[in-house]
Amino acid sequence: MVMNNNIDKLAEDLEKQELEAPNGVATPQLYEQLLAIYLYQNDLCNAKYLWKRIPESVKTSAPELKNIWAVGQCMWRRDFPGIYKALNKVTWSDTVADIMKEVQESIRNRAVDLISQAYSSITIDTVCAMTGLTPDICIPACAEKGWSFEADTNMIHPVRQVVEPAGQTSSEDQLYKLTDFVSFLEN
Amino acid sequence: MASALEQFVNTVRTLSSHGNFRELCEYLSKSSEVLVKNTQHLDNVLETLDIQQHSLGILTVLCAKFSAPATTGNNAQDNRFTQTQEFILNCNGEHIRLAPDTFAELCHLLTNYLVEQKQPLKGICILEKAISKLRLFDSQLTSIHADLCQLCVVAKCFKPALKLIDIDITGICQEQSYNTNGPQFDAKYFLLYYYYGGLVYLAVRNLERALYFFEVAITTPAHAVSHIMLEAYKKYILVSLLLHGKILLLPKYASQVVNRFIKPLSQPYHDLATAFTSNSSAELNAVLTRHTEVFTRDHNLGLVKQVSSVLYKKNIQRLTKTFLTLSLSDVASRVGLSSPSEAESHILQMIETRQIFATINQKDGMVIFRDEPEKFSGPEVLKGLEEQLQLCMDLDKQILSMDEEIQVNPQYVKKSTGFQEEEQPNKSTYAM
Amino acid sequence: MPLFVASTMAQNAVEPMQVDAPPEDNDNNEEENYVVENPSLDLEVYANSYTGLAKLYRLIYIIDHCPSLRLEALKMAISYVMTTYNVNLYQVLHQKLAEVTTALNVPDVAAPSTSQDIPAIDNMWMETRSKKAALKLEKLDNDLKNYKSNSIKESIRRGHDDLGDHYLDCGDLSNALKCYSRARDYCTSGKHVVNMCLNVIKVSVYLQNWSHVLSYVSKAESTPDFCETQTKDSNQVIMTRLKCAAGLAELATKKYKSAAKHFLQANLDHCDFPELLSPNNVAMYGGLCALATFDRHELQKNVIFSSSFKLFLELEPQLRDIIFKFYESKYAQCLKLLDEIKDNLLLDMYIAPHISTLYMQIRNRALIQYFSPYLSADMHKMAEAFNRTVPALEDELMQLILEGQIQARIDSHNKILFAKDVDQRSTTFEKSLLIGKEYQRRTRMLILRAAVLKNKIHVKSPQRETGQAGDITIAPGTSTVLTARN
Repeated sequence: MVMNNNIDKLAEDLEKQELEAPNGVATPQLYEQLLAIYLYQNDLCNAKYLWKRIPESVKTSAPELKNIWAVGQCMWRRDFPGIYKALNKVTWSDTVADIMKEVQESIRNRAVDLISQAYSSITIDTVCAMTGLTPDICIPACAEKGWSFEADTNMIHPVRQVVEPAGQTSSEDQLYKLTDFVSFLEN
Repeated sequence: MASALEQFVNTVRTLSSHGNFRELCEYLSKSSEVLVKNTQHLDNVLETLDIQQHSLGILTVLCAKFSAPATTGNNAQDNRFTQTQEFILNCNGEHIRLAPDTFAELCHLLTNYLVEQKQPLKGICILEKAISKLRLFDSQLTSIHADLCQLCVVAKCFKPALKLIDIDITGICQEQSYNTNGPQFDAKYFLLYYYYGGLVYLAVRNLERALYFFEVAITTPAHAVSHIMLEAYKKYILVSLLLHGKILLLPKYASQVVNRFIKPLSQPYHDLATAFTSNSSAELNAVLTRHTEVFTRDHNLGLVKQVSSVLYKKNIQRLTKTFLTLSLSDVASRVGLSSPSEAESHILQMIETRQIFATINQKDGMVIFRDEPEKFSGPEVLKGLEEQLQLCMDLDKQILSMDEEIQVNPQYVKKSTGFQEEEQPNKSTYAM
Repeated sequence: MPLFVASTMAQNAVEPMQVDAPPEDNDNNEEENYVVENPSLDLEVYANSYTGLAKLYRLIYIIDHCPSLRLEALKMAISYVMTTYNVNLYQVLHQKLAEVTTALNVPDVAAPSTSQDIPAIDNMWMETRSKKAALKLEKLDNDLKNYKSNSIKESIRRGHDDLGDHYLDCGDLSNALKCYSRARDYCTSGKHVVNMCLNVIKVSVYLQNWSHVLSYVSKAESTPDFCETQTKDSNQVIMTRLKCAAGLAELATKKYKSAAKHFLQANLDHCDFPELLSPNNVAMYGGLCALATFDRHELQKNVIFSSSFKLFLELEPQLRDIIFKFYESKYAQCLKLLDEIKDNLLLDMYIAPHISTLYMQIRNRALIQYFSPYLSADMHKMAEAFNRTVPALEDELMQLILEGQIQARIDSHNKILFAKDVDQRSTTFEKSLLIGKEYQRRTRMLILRAAVLKNKIHVKSPQRETGQAGDITIAPGTSTVLTARN
């Protein structure tokens, strides 16, 4: 994902800017973006501490911060329906709109992953709650993933995804390392 | 009055220009009294000194400004911070390393000032710079490390501290002054560094490292009970429970003080550990309510609550060891949770964090526990192994080089060849 | 039999010989639990296997724990105690008798015949008996004084022994122990030493001083010319006796495995010491302890194929069946038989306190063995084989798995127990990674500590000048680092 690298980079810049802010208070835009990014990264610890260190005056002047953190609180409680509700209840300003869209996307992806990891059968209601989608979108989406739907019991049967590890090291590099290990062990 | 300061400026200038820094340091250490008496003129003095050439002089003046009795004027307060910031960012590193104690002192003063002003965030970048100027290599500990960690903890901004504390310390800066025979490095800052560092790791949920840091704090050689050690010990117990489900034994070289004084002072925490190892949530909660006051007073209630929620997880993990399948309601009743849905949410969370491997079947309300799917095959594993081996090898090399250093240490050679010298009994014992 | 009984038994068993102890408050409970059961014990035969205090103490244990046999046991005990000088115990027994008869007479008028059998307390007998005892004591005392003045070692030793015997006859255990121990100084041969040890062991068993028993057993065994000087036969008698005493002491201190080993070394032909144990006891104690602690191979080699212990097992056919059923993996029958003999065992003063533990261990062993050849086992069948409900079995198994005694996991949904296949390769990987991490952690700590010591970082009391003192104290710390490092 292209977004990924950009966001990490943006986060670093914002963190630096915050430290260099005069009198230690940065702009509301900076806080909003950084908080949203932490949520996107699922870094709830840092999100929580950021929320705690934002001065009260900034919080009152920028109500959007509160809305972002409302999402964070739901994430902290692992309350999936709450997250989607908090995400979709407000129209996000241009500062964070893109990031918040990504947040929703990443949370939904994580939920889908989790369902496929953790359930062998699950009610359609739970799937809807965890993905924030309506049943009429949900059922076709599940079918697309190869998850079968049992209409009479309202059960979905997810299929576990096997994560294929990628990555290869060159054999020359490995040989070099092995030499290293052997010489270490012999000495 | 003014003449005393004029003389100060002149001496600093001449000694600096002659490169006579040793003498300069001695002179400076004696002149702080004069400076403190003339606080109101110190800004004039600063104007006459060059930040690069007369770093040591400016350093002394700034220290004097902080240690002077608080002035009422707002201006004076404002420029202390900016002046110090300016100084730390631009001073001559080589010069200040000649007076590391004063430089560190300035940082301590700045830290206290910022904490009092409730603006800890402002100091983080400055102290980062200060540390990089004072230390000779990356893994050298300075007493400013403790300040930076403190600021990060107070500011609730942990990322900058992580950059610092992730580096394992291998050497300690000798912040020795020329005129006193005091300690080369104050144990207080050592303890503070490891205590605050532990707190930072706790905040970002790196329990492994937090435990390591608290352990270092507890095992510091000690003759007296330090409150920092006591608090570190309490946190050590809690983190140990979170991570390992029991209190890990402290190494034998831990000071006697720990057993004799610190353990008895932490009885509520030991009670908690005993209840925890009994695997009974009811018992644990009883201890929790019995000692809530103590835990709250120690600011450990949050951690204690984590301990109590971890017990549910530990018990679920025990179930995974004994069962292949179990109904959610059985899980709830065996673990002591109130409902199957509560059990489900616990299990779901543990699956996500890969603490257990299981599949929930909502249709029958059953859980199927599985073994860890990690089969230790494929290039990923090899890569991991290589990394670990590399780390071990590096450490081994480090030990070897330390050993070599000792082998060629004249004092060690002298002793090991039979010439006993009573005054320095500690040198030889570094050897293997 | 409900568990409750076992627990009250255990309480009583703490000091079963403390005859002067006030009667237990919970007699009623025991009556309820005991009246119904326990038909199989033939008191007469049982009592005849013992002599001396062993007989009395065992009868008293039954009196205290089994109401249905209480009266008969009391009568036997009283008639037996009248052959001794133990006037104290005579009184105590009559006191107990009085309690029983009043309890019987009040509600139950329809038993006139029994009241006639009941012996009345004989004050005359008590008086004359006490006088005779005192006279005999005086005579023995005088004899001993004479021997001492003549300083004939052998006579002095015998004098002490005789005095000890008399005290024992009177029920004065502490004085008996003193006299027997004093004989020690006058022993002139290994035989005498062994004899002294046997006397001390006997009294110590009555006193339940088990550590004393064990130390005198080893003392006797290490007596230098014990083996050579004795004729083979008497040697065997003594050996068996020592083994049984040691076994009893180990049993009482809950070391069941070594108790079993001791009892298994006994020899039936030389097992004749009714003042201590009966051969049946040896069979039962040894067999149960072995069953509870031996693995299958040990059980086969040391119990089933042991020619000497086989003879013991003939004395207790039920126990023999139990052991064979266990060995043949017929656990249901084995456990059923065990339950059948439980009541009798609960009336045995030495094994009763350990019955619940031993039974549990036997059960666990059976569970482990039952499952050992399987990859998976149906828990319904298993529950049937062990006379348990499935949920109870599940709990039992869970405990065993957590203790690491069974490598298995339970499929609670289908009620199947599956053997856990341990993947050697992954566990090796896991272990080595863990050790690597541990090494890194320790080494880091070591390097740091070296730096700490080098810089003399040391927490000191604030208001004290520590100049040289600080330096000196660093040394010990350093040396411990070094040991950790090697």
